[in-house]
Amino acid sequence: MTFQIDRRGFVASSFAAGAVMLSPDQVLAGAAPPAWVLGVADVEADIAEAPMLRVQGRAPSGLAGTLYRNGPAKFRRLGGSADHWFDGDGLVRKMRIGGGNASLAARFVDTPKRRLESTLNAMVMPGFGTPLRKGATLSSADDGNPANTALLMSGSELLALWEAGSPMRLDPETLATRGFKTFGDDLAHMPFLAHPRVQPDGTVWNLGSGGGSQCVVWKLRADGGLAKAEVIKLPRPSYFHDFTATARHIIIVLQPWLQEEMTFPISTGMAWRPERGTQILVLEKDDLTKRRVFELPAFSAFHYGDAWEERDGTIRFDGALEADPTFGQRGATALLRGEYLRSPRPMLTQIVLRPNGTADLLPARISAEFPTIDKRLAGLPRRFTTHVTHYRSLPFPHGIGQWDWQRGRDDSFNFGASQLVEEFVFAANGAGEADGWLIGTTLNLKARATELHVFDARNVSAGPLVTWRAAMPLPLTFHGIFVGA
Amino acid sequence: MNRFTVIAVAIAMNLPALAAAAAAPEPGGLEVSYSGIETPKGVIMVALFNSEASYTSGQPVRAVMIPVAKADAATTIKGLPAGRYAIKSFHDLDGNGKMNTNPFGMPTEPFAFSNNARGAAGPAKWSDAVFDVAATGTKISITIK
Repeated sequence: MTFQIDRRGFVASSFAAGAVMLSPDQVLAGAAPPAWVLGVADVEADIAEAPMLRVQGRAPSGLAGTLYRNGPAKFRRLGGSADHWFDGDGLVRKMRIGGGNASLAARFVDTPKRRLESTLNAMVMPGFGTPLRKGATLSSADDGNPANTALLMSGSELLALWEAGSPMRLDPETLATRGFKTFGDDLAHMPFLAHPRVQPDGTVWNLGSGGGSQCVVWKLRADGGLAKAEVIKLPRPSYFHDFTATARHIIIVLQPWLQEEMTFPISTGMAWRPERGTQILVLEKDDLTKRRVFELPAFSAFHYGDAWEERDGTIRFDGALEADPTFGQRGATALLRGEYLRSPRPMLTQIVLRPNGTADLLPARISAEFPTIDKRLAGLPRRFTTHVTHYRSLPFPHGIGQWDWQRGRDDSFNFGASQLVEEFVFAANGAGEADGWLIGTTLNLKARATELHVFDARNVSAGPLVTWRAAMPLPLTFHGIFVGA
Repeated sequence: MNRFTVIAVAIAMNLPALAAAAAAPEPGGLEVSYSGIETPKGVIMVALFNSEASYTSGQPVRAVMIPVAKADAATTIKGLPAGRYAIKSFHDLDGNGKMNTNPFGMPTEPFAFSNNARGAAGPAKWSDAVFDVAATGTKISITIK
């Protein structure tokens, strides 16, 4: 098999050892890459389980379980590289906490895409921002599935999620890949978003976009079995990475980032049409034909918090809203070139849908991404939203916070400029909301190592209760879950 | 990325419903063997084309149905003039005579082309799937998945 080595691919691979990718201009100028490129570096091999070093504090007694995280960790190959942060190969990390200690293991998801591209030594499969290249064989969306975005425990299986294809089944202990999850012979290769909404009773709701205005609504039982897969029609062909839900409703934010052409890379066929505003579609879980549409000024977003309904029918949820999708369109491509393209900051904002058909935006006036909550309250009234924050002048955040919607204040901790902060998730240790720990990772640029931190969710500004450090830096992840022991 | 599926729909092979045109296997001529069968049941529907035009429009010169009972299967198509041919095929697991798709139109049954050609984002091209049949007979093998 032969393939063309383009100039850009050559430059990329030349610097792979340094785990950075420089633009030709930077090479010619001899410019040093910014330190944050460690966050989008390549990992070359799986990482066997090894203890992490406790560098600060003490593990709280009673904390035991496993933090699984997923994110892209291989972007560059000699014959061609990924052109977008979202298109790298998924590396699943497993951080086990117990007995006051922590360990780390990581394993690439063994996808058909990764197998083919390893053989070709070229990233050839198309993606969100990566073109289809010579050598690609695409029989279904799953041939291009990097399984790199999120994770879901479903029955006894750990599922690695993307958004345009099937979940990939993993062994939760060994992280060995078991093959794509198919919910029925006639449902193979159906898209399954990376943001399933899990009700407190374990019922899972999810969506999958079929392109144009088609969308599948998934309902899974707590044991992982299929309860329903129903195809619905949307008012417009918006791009959506996430959705949200109350106990009774599915809520789909239809931003005016519209798929106007069907082409590879996917994002090149999407156009930003702010004059059309943002629509919010509310469906009833029990009867998906019952729907309402709310209108708001244009905004873009990747992520939302869980929603809830008040007694009078008012629906509230929050999201990390951006003025436009510059980051997804171009910023996340520039990252892989070691460039920071200034993009609108994601801002924590509550969206209020009123029974009279009107809608409002209530800004918290803080930058925030990766909203997470105490999942015991998914779909129910709640007070807090955990988030990353403190973006400064870099593309990645430096802090975490716990926003209090009741008091309108943020309890936050800033790790400082040398730490890039990833999503934190909640693990309960008491009955009340925020009675628990926030568990998450950072990439310490100074120590050149990934770190694992545990906070008291009731006192985030006090800093981590304990910090463990891995023996190596791993690129930044997108999403994870904590599974209690 | 959520439009990925739609574009991939273009991959569907545009195969005609072959059940009516299917015939019993004949001895001699072009010998076609299949391997890589994961589910040993049903039939493999084979459509043979003798020109790019027929390949593109989905009008086969021959259509053959091969019963599947194990991980490989074979048939021989007799009486073919020497020339250039290409094959589109799929594994009809449930025996309904058509290639099943999911609700978004993606194939859910295994399929394959001659030369094991694969399309980048659509059916394999005639130029990638075409092969020669000699007057003295020809053997080809296809992996179906």
